[in-house]
Amino acid sequence: MKQVMLFLLSFLLPVLSNGVSYAGDKCLTCHKGLSDKPSSLYSHDIHSSKGISCAECHGGNQNSDDMEQAMSKEAGFIGVPKGDDISKVCSNCHANPDKMNELGSTLPTNQWQLLQTSVHGKSSLAGNEHIVQCITCHSVHNIVSVKNPASPVYPLNAVKTCTKCHADPAYMRAYNPSMPVDQLEKYKTSVHGMRNSKGDSKTAECASCHGGHDIRSANDVKSSVYAVNIPSTCSHCHSNSVYMKEYNIPIDQYEKFSKSVHGISLLQKRDVAAPACNDCHGNHGATPPGVESISKVCGTCHALNAELFSSSPHKKVFDEKKLPECETCHSNHEIIAATEKLLGATPEAVCSRCHNENQNPKGYVIAKAMRHLTDSLESSENNAGALVTDAEQKGMEISEAKFKLRDIHQARLQTRTMVHSFNAKKFNEAAMKGLSTASFVAGEAQHAIDEYYFRRWGLGIATLIISIVGVALYLTIRKIEIKQQNKNNGIKES
Amino acid sequence: MKSAWNKFYSWLDERVQLQNLIQFMGKKYVPVHSHSIWYYFGGVSLFLFIIQVMTGILLLLYYKSGEEFAFESIQYIMSKVNFGWLIRSIHSWTANLFILTAMIHMFSVFFEKAYRKPREMTWITGMLMFFLALGFGFSGYLLPWNELAFFATKVGTDIAGVIPFIGKPLMIFLRGSEEVNGATLSRFFGFHVAVLPGIFTVLLGIHLVLVQRQGMSEPLGLGANSKSGLKTMPFFPNFLLRDLLFWLVVLNLLAILAVFFPWELGKKADPFASAPAGIKPEWYFLFMFQTLKYIPAKLLVIDGEVFGVLLFSFAGLLWMLVPFWDKKSNRGEQNRFINYIGLFAVLYIIFFTILGWLL
Repeated sequence: MKQVMLFLLSFLLPVLSNGVSYAGDKCLTCHKGLSDKPSSLYSHDIHSSKGISCAECHGGNQNSDDMEQAMSKEAGFIGVPKGDDISKVCSNCHANPDKMNELGSTLPTNQWQLLQTSVHGKSSLAGNEHIVQCITCHSVHNIVSVKNPASPVYPLNAVKTCTKCHADPAYMRAYNPSMPVDQLEKYKTSVHGMRNSKGDSKTAECASCHGGHDIRSANDVKSSVYAVNIPSTCSHCHSNSVYMKEYNIPIDQYEKFSKSVHGISLLQKRDVAAPACNDCHGNHGATPPGVESISKVCGTCHALNAELFSSSPHKKVFDEKKLPECETCHSNHEIIAATEKLLGATPEAVCSRCHNENQNPKGYVIAKAMRHLTDSLESSENNAGALVTDAEQKGMEISEAKFKLRDIHQARLQTRTMVHSFNAKKFNEAAMKGLSTASFVAGEAQHAIDEYYFRRWGLGIATLIISIVGVALYLTIRKIEIKQQNKNNGIKES
Repeated sequence: MKSAWNKFYSWLDERVQLQNLIQFMGKKYVPVHSHSIWYYFGGVSLFLFIIQVMTGILLLLYYKSGEEFAFESIQYIMSKVNFGWLIRSIHSWTANLFILTAMIHMFSVFFEKAYRKPREMTWITGMLMFFLALGFGFSGYLLPWNELAFFATKVGTDIAGVIPFIGKPLMIFLRGSEEVNGATLSRFFGFHVAVLPGIFTVLLGIHLVLVQRQGMSEPLGLGANSKSGLKTMPFFPNFLLRDLLFWLVVLNLLAILAVFFPWELGKKADPFASAPAGIKPEWYFLFMFQTLKYIPAKLLVIDGEVFGVLLFSFAGLLWMLVPFWDKKSNRGEQNRFINYIGLFAVLYIIFFTILGWLL
């Protein structure tokens, strides 16, 4: 009976349809007649507009009116593909450059390959398919171009698509229990998220940073969000003058960051402990830190400096004047290595921007004294180091003093930290500790060098004495032997 | 002054009959010939041994055995103790010179065939002392507990471990456990300052008594059997004073070495660190170490390393027993074969030591 009905429908449907002829694709003709969801969605699908029939994916004979024949195994009918077969069906065309050219597409043809090597290319819980198939993100039967606002991967929809899984703790726990699921909540509070929600499709969404098909774990060195790659990923938009024009924000952050102490550590030395953009701005909740929170941001790593600053007299003044705390002296993206030059009353010292003999003179005096002490400490360290090297090169055992050289350097680092207390007493304590160690090391090294010369002099004197004794012994032997010889000769003669 | 000395001498002579000893020494003569120079190497070895004992006792005042203290105590001796650097450097340099002079003494005795009847026991005690000297070197090398010493001891005791049947128990006996650790250090310290010196002193006593009793050996073809007879010099004071002169030269050399080339301490041993590249034993073990490298891993049914160790042990035994199989020399006849063997041994040791040093 069902077969008879389908047979009749195959004749009736072309007549009943809105003048559009599906006579070329008998699958669609029948299924339209059944008013099933796939066939009704497919008319809006981009593949439909390219003239791709159902049989391209499902197999079978699209030209046959006979359902038995059209959906027979002999005709290659595979029904509804399951698991990885879904993506394989898509890749039949999407991984075939010739086929894609034929269809007039300029899309890349490596999506399936990328998906397999991505973090989503791992096995599902069942173990017989990948976690994600093409249709997981792109949907099915109503697939449209990613540039189409109706696409689930269109920038304004991508966040929703990704968070279908990534905001589901129960689902995510099965794959990665330690992975946060609050990305969406954070994203909503970010500048990117807020603009995206207002319909700005240019702002970053998930795929902008993580990529589309080739998403990798953040710990993977090839990932676009691996620590070392993050500045480059962010700068893709933020250093693009054309792209960023309408936002009216600077575009030199990457350039500045790459010259900074953090940038050099991260990008040149590839030290992943150094901060990338997200460490200060946040990642999913990326936003510029406010004036009041800058020291908190920097303080996540520079904890002691931040703590000392917070209890210093500068804290109140900076707050009153709305000065960004760390940034005022160290700048933001282009933070250079803090040297002694930043401290003191010289024109290049940052203290002198607010303190001089007339304006805030108390700070001027303290800054000058601090600089004097750091300079003394630096020269003491250099002097002690040179003496230790000299003693070592002379072959003297000086390992204890050499080891203590580290303490001097440590004291220098401590004084740099103590600067942030802006407290002369605390600073002096740290500096004096270093100076006294330097004095001890220099004394030990000098003693070793003096000992070296003492040894040479001692050797000279000892050698001289031994040689004199030797010569005296030789002369004694000669004297004895001559005496013996004379005695023997006397005996013989007599 | 002179009368005070005479008084003291008479006082002493009355009690211990010194005059008899002087008369004995005055009657003792040393042969004088073109090879007489070699006679002095026995005396200089004795002198170096005395220095070792004295400097060793001084080092004992500050040295602390144990994994945690050994390295640090040597560091303290080198940097804080007055003249500690000198004592330690002289001790280390003397150890090497002692083995060198003992080796020269041994070869000179071998080439002169001075081991022949009636001096077989003198040779045997000398050889045993030489092996003990190597033991002194091996055990003393570990005492500073530095990186090189640690791994050299590990390699050295590993080699001892390959001797068939007794190898494994011997290795564990030497190490005090399966691995080189604090127990090995304690053990080596005990060997170095108590066991070896005790045995060595007994052997040295026998050796010296025999030398004094039998006198210096005369080379074959000279002396009593020769037509012209042999020139001699009195042992006291002529030979003894010449000995002293040589000792002074060696003392000067030691002082120069200790000041210009102070013995380095290196890095503290870390049993968990990987062995540094190019670990080598002390120079006097180098020829054997280098040879073991060239022996194939398997020789018929026997391991190459086992074969090498057995070969050296056998060669050492034959060398020690030479007075008993060199019949010709015992009969007072020239034996060129012995010279060839000695020459081969000298060239072999020099060649493989240089090779080991360079590679």
